[in-house]
Amino acid sequence: MNDESSPLANDGESLSKNRSKWKAVFLIYRREMIDQLRDRRTLFTVAILPIMLYPLLGMILFQVAQFQQEHPITICVLGKDHLDVPVPLFDGDGFAEEFKEGGKIDLVYYNWGTVKLGSSVKDETTRWIEEGRFDAVLVVPPEFLDHSARVSQDVAKIKLYYDVSSDESRVARERMLSRLDRWQTLWIRSELAATGVEETILHPFRLDEVDIAPQESKSAAFWSKMLPFIMLVWALTGAFYPAIDLVAGEKERGTLETLLCSPASRAEIVWGKLGAVATASITTALLNLCSMLLTSSLFFDQLSGDGGGVFSSPPLLPLSWLLVALLPLSLLFSAVALAAAALAKSSKEGQYYLMPLMMISLPLVMIPMLPGIELAVGTSIIPVTGMFLLSRTLIEGDYLIAALHAPAVFGVTFLCLGLALRWAKRQFEDESVLFGSHEPFDLKRWVVSSWRQREAMPTTAASYFCGAVILVLLFLARLSGGELPQDSSGFARMVLVPQIAMVLIPTLAFAGFCSLKPLRALRLHTSSVRTLFICFALGILFHPTYLLLAETVNTVYPMTDQAMEALQPVVKQMAELPLWIVITLIAVTPAICEELAFRGLIFGGLAKNGRNWGAIVVTAILFGSSHGVLQQSICATFMGLLLGVIAYRTGSVLPGILFHFANNAMSVCIQRLSESQFGVIDYIFTRSNESVGYQIWWTINSFGLGVSALTLLMRNQPPSHASDERNDANHQRNPSAAL
Amino acid sequence: MITVDALSKIYADTSRGDLLAVDGVSFSVQPGEIFGLLGANGAGKTTVLRILSTVLKPTSGTALVAGHSVLDEPERVRQKIGFVSNNTAIYDRMSAVEMVQHFGQLHGLSREEVRARTELLFRQLRMEDFRDVLGAKMSTGMQQKVSIARALIHDPPVLIFDEATLGLDVLVARNLLQIIRGLREAGKCLIFSTHIMSEVERLCDRIAIMHQGRILDTGTLTELRDRHQEHDFEELFFSLLSRHEEQAPEAGIAVAENQAISTAESMPKGRATGVGKS
Repeated sequence: MNDESSPLANDGESLSKNRSKWKAVFLIYRREMIDQLRDRRTLFTVAILPIMLYPLLGMILFQVAQFQQEHPITICVLGKDHLDVPVPLFDGDGFAEEFKEGGKIDLVYYNWGTVKLGSSVKDETTRWIEEGRFDAVLVVPPEFLDHSARVSQDVAKIKLYYDVSSDESRVARERMLSRLDRWQTLWIRSELAATGVEETILHPFRLDEVDIAPQESKSAAFWSKMLPFIMLVWALTGAFYPAIDLVAGEKERGTLETLLCSPASRAEIVWGKLGAVATASITTALLNLCSMLLTSSLFFDQLSGDGGGVFSSPPLLPLSWLLVALLPLSLLFSAVALAAAALAKSSKEGQYYLMPLMMISLPLVMIPMLPGIELAVGTSIIPVTGMFLLSRTLIEGDYLIAALHAPAVFGVTFLCLGLALRWAKRQFEDESVLFGSHEPFDLKRWVVSSWRQREAMPTTAASYFCGAVILVLLFLARLSGGELPQDSSGFARMVLVPQIAMVLIPTLAFAGFCSLKPLRALRLHTSSVRTLFICFALGILFHPTYLLLAETVNTVYPMTDQAMEALQPVVKQMAELPLWIVITLIAVTPAICEELAFRGLIFGGLAKNGRNWGAIVVTAILFGSSHGVLQQSICATFMGLLLGVIAYRTGSVLPGILFHFANNAMSVCIQRLSESQFGVIDYIFTRSNESVGYQIWWTINSFGLGVSALTLLMRNQPPSHASDERNDANHQRNPSAAL
Repeated sequence: MITVDALSKIYADTSRGDLLAVDGVSFSVQPGEIFGLLGANGAGKTTVLRILSTVLKPTSGTALVAGHSVLDEPERVRQKIGFVSNNTAIYDRMSAVEMVQHFGQLHGLSREEVRARTELLFRQLRMEDFRDVLGAKMSTGMQQKVSIARALIHDPPVLIFDEATLGLDVLVARNLLQIIRGLREAGKCLIFSTHIMSEVERLCDRIAIMHQGRILDTGTLTELRDRHQEHDFEELFFSLLSRHEEQAPEAGIAVAENQAISTAESMPKGRATGVGKS
């Protein structure tokens, strides 16, 4: 073998030279596609399942429908001998001619005296139904024969016994009730005829409902809600399995490292794999859609016969608008699934990670199914939901509205796509993700080692966990809180309990357990008087802008009248309290508690390793989410961004506390300030019957002043401890830095 | 061709704390030379080789492969190396020829070059019998040959074999060693890591003995024998290890295998990393 075992002689250089980026992406994509096409499991979920699913479902539905129509119902009539009345319900062994229609019923009659009743009629009939001898029992008491008793006395009532927990019994009830109803009508008619009264007295006028929607739009309304939902759920499902197989599966099989040490860059690998996952996702969605359309056209046409009602075959041409939503959303789902799957070390683990992803995505797909949700400014910026609504609006033919909101919808979608791609790429660059430990997790060892290894600042994971704990506690408090306070002490409790018990205490606990130096973990560093003063002024200067933002948000997402009314007593209680107490409750407490939590502990942990801007965005979102009302959450998120920037630039939590305090205090005091007698007051505030606001010139000027002051602050180099505490030695040299 | 200087790697392990997997390793390998890395499981061989293949980033230190830095030009480095390890498996759902050609194309080779190289390698490695067999249906020996062909397709000047004989039967392993010798004759620069001493004795021009992330000694077999006055290589290896263990406490290194380094704060903080095997 020696003579043959020396490969091509070379000049010390490898052959690789003309690599092109897109060719590498295409090569990886092609390989992944071939791989997926050769995988039976993927083929089954992507192609075979969708094609078979709907015909099979249709077949089962068809049979169930037939079963429902043909299934005989047995009803026992006890006391048939008491039915000797002017208008007969029964004729011989069955119903009288007029009552034969309305579903098949098998009747079993008993005369009152022929049945030996046990303790009582009720117990006996209950036993019959429970034992399954009859689906319902109609009991006609002896008193029914007496005309005067029949119309007035309870004992003469006919009783229909049934069991609501049994399907057959419910059907028996419906069928019997419709017959009893007709019996009653016929009886009235015959009595009226006997007394010579015109039958028209029962119907003084006639009503005709006219639905003006043409058949196409009726079915479009149904299908435009149904089909995007089905399509997106399948696009999501279709992305999952290939994503797991292409990343976690490759890790498991050991082929990922083979690819990683090839000349392909991480970005090329991500793009190639993303292409393959998205292709699978789109194919699954399209095949499902086609199979469903085909089945439903055949099925509903047959079911509804002449095409009446909403159940008619879907309009085909407008449905092509669905593709507008499918492409970007499939890419988005694929990128997110790819990144999540990268966290897993095996296919099995991958499935655990993708489940929560499904839980998060499904509500976004389901929001548009709720009644009354239309494409509007507010809904267009919700990821996935906006795109869903856009395609629905296009299907329904409202092109103008669709065109109006399309930029926002696509903007948000591409932003999310960009973020998801970045996340996916990061996963592929992260060594711990790619070569993570295969050892089982040991809780005790983990706790001991986390405790032993805690540093001055909490870890990023601890920060996220603290944020999650606060959000969950606040949510539970809101659920159990329920009613609004009745008096001012109740109001104080409503404000203080969540702030202290759900925000401050968890924060302090985390600072104590996850950090060697709790004060530094809370970012309690000294700041210069100048910085503190600027931040306090910023709180006042940005308050008009904040009010403007709140107003805008309230216009876009209006509060319901009910919610506004419910808030009235709270406003009243607040007005009744002395000003200093209100300031303590609304301005001082949240400023301290929320800032220590969000801009203190959580920011510090997240900004580790210099990820300051990421920390600003994440803390702003967490801060926004901690406010229970949507409108407040949006405003608070924006405020959170500003507070985050201040926290980053000043390196301390104190300036943020002052800013937060000043801003909240202005909200509380604006009413009383506007009523004071100073000369300048009228130039700054506007007063109307309902509310107090700022003059527009002051809003603009204060914003300008605010931005200038902020620029002044931004010019400051962040203090050494701000750039996150990367260098512990610095602090050890200057222990007085922490308060 | 390969120059490694003061290379270190720390893994952050969530349950055990930071783990010093490679500690100031330096060596160099010339073209036409087989450099052996010998060490027990967990000695840090795979980590060193993964850093050379640019799959992992070093915490500190530098490594140059064919003149390119693994930190600054990882893509150029990957074009210059062929990496065969027991962690670089082959695709189950691709045939031998598809697999090898796919990687040839990824290296930017033209269609003709890929075809010519594939034919040559398949002939030299005696792979023609199973060229169209899917990876999942191959024996371990066949899979190993495909891996080697995959690593050689772009005719790289540097080849890295990480525990490449692991799990192979005697016949196949012997065949592999022969192929590696052939590559040395073709002037390639080779690194061969193993924990099997006889392989090192038979194959390597120079040897580095690794233990707990450090190179305890390095040199040719003769140099090592002379220096330690020990002809039996296995005895030499164990005496080196036990001498190191005795000195270890003074050197401030945790002795027990895989023990966590608890002085976390005194170490530079890299990105969180963790690896089961090292």
